[in-house]
Amino acid sequence: MRKAICKYIAFAICATAISAAQTLRPPTGAVAGTASSISTSGSGSATFYLVGPANNSKRQIQLGEAINLPANELQTSGRYIAVVCADTCQSAEFFVAPANPASLTFLVHPSRAPVGENDVISGVALPFDQFKNLVVSPVNVNFQLASEGKSTANHAAATREGIAWFRTGSGRSAGAVTISASVNDVSARRVVQQVASDPCRLRIKGELSTKGIVVETEPVKDCAGNPVPDGTIVTFTAKDGKDTDTVDAPIKKGIARAQMIAAGPVVISAASGVVMGNELRLGGEQRGEQK
Amino acid sequence: MTPRSAFFARFLAAAILTLIVAMYSRAADLSVRVELNSGKAGPRSVEALTQRSIVRDYKFAWASLAQALESNTTSPLNGLFAGNANELINAEVKNQQRTGLISRYLHQNHNVEVVFYAPEGDMMQLHDTADYDLQLLDGNKTIHQEHVTVRFVVLITPAADRWVIRQLQSVPQF
Repeated sequence: MRKAICKYIAFAICATAISAAQTLRPPTGAVAGTASSISTSGSGSATFYLVGPANNSKRQIQLGEAINLPANELQTSGRYIAVVCADTCQSAEFFVAPANPASLTFLVHPSRAPVGENDVISGVALPFDQFKNLVVSPVNVNFQLASEGKSTANHAAATREGIAWFRTGSGRSAGAVTISASVNDVSARRVVQQVASDPCRLRIKGELSTKGIVVETEPVKDCAGNPVPDGTIVTFTAKDGKDTDTVDAPIKKGIARAQMIAAGPVVISAASGVVMGNELRLGGEQRGEQK
Repeated sequence: MTPRSAFFARFLAAAILTLIVAMYSRAADLSVRVELNSGKAGPRSVEALTQRSIVRDYKFAWASLAQALESNTTSPLNGLFAGNANELINAEVKNQQRTGLISRYLHQNHNVEVVFYAPEGDMMQLHDTADYDLQLLDGNKTIHQEHVTVRFVVLITPAADRWVIRQLQSVPQF
């Protein structure tokens, strides 16, 4: 019995000695791209392994000396496992935090937005350090909207787990809006083109000519007075007593124009999107073509 | 049945059984459990079909990641990761090939929460609290073995036919 107890005590002392020989003390507060070290205790040579998110290395070390971790082995933030193997293996974990923001990923939508709409423009900013690690600790992002060189709106937001975002309405005037996001001296810029909204009202006029009827709109604008973009389709409809004919004409330089051949009384109307224009009553037999 | 055909039948049955057992054990190694909670997602809400797609794609990505790191080949990763995550995982496999290390991710459970879904639906952030058995081997020698819980901040974006992982970053806490 006494022998057994002695053997157990001897084994326990040996086990403690072995584990004590390979004690690892990993770094605390390690930052991506900054050299660090792991202290070890014990003596003799051992094999050291470092296993990280993108990097793993293996080399011989001397126990009792500090293991230097060069900056290029700690560029990726995340969980690392340090393992030292002599007779047995001992391991320790540590985390590497991202460095300071060095770039911003900035997603802005849409690229073209109609004027006068609420919450139509949105932006999401994500700060990354120089090693492409997402900076998850809170940082303040300043969003700025500018039109024709003048700042029109500012919005500050703190990142939450590496993301800050905003949403805003479009302005009243058509034109380019520059949207920038900045964190300290790092910034990213995007441009949103504000375009005229749907036509607000349509007025048409027409006159008889030798070739028939020439009908055209007055300059087509949205409700804020912005000219509706060229290419927007205006549909002219001509009705006589029995037939209905339509002509689709694109707006060119703010005006849509069509030529219709008509005989007898005819009523001409125009529409674009959900907007109807006035009715025009003229005479002649009709057939249409866009001008 | 002649003795020869009986022997052949027994041999065939044994071969099929061996194949099934081998396939089952392989599938068990690659089994990944993913639970997704999108109740707190914002500013955009996550539709049911999108949730199902994310669970399918995230599960497949982790199974493929485990397979790549165990077999030290990058082919299982094709198309499942993009951007920084793709670069890092490919680098990890190449480093393992160089050092002779092998990583095994076994019995994976992922509790995933959608914490951000971009207004236009072009990016999503997940918080994954994952627990698994991690084995590190140098050749045939196990140098590290643990059951561990790791928290991941994950950025995923929609690709042509699936969600791909763009950032997979472990953090000490959310």
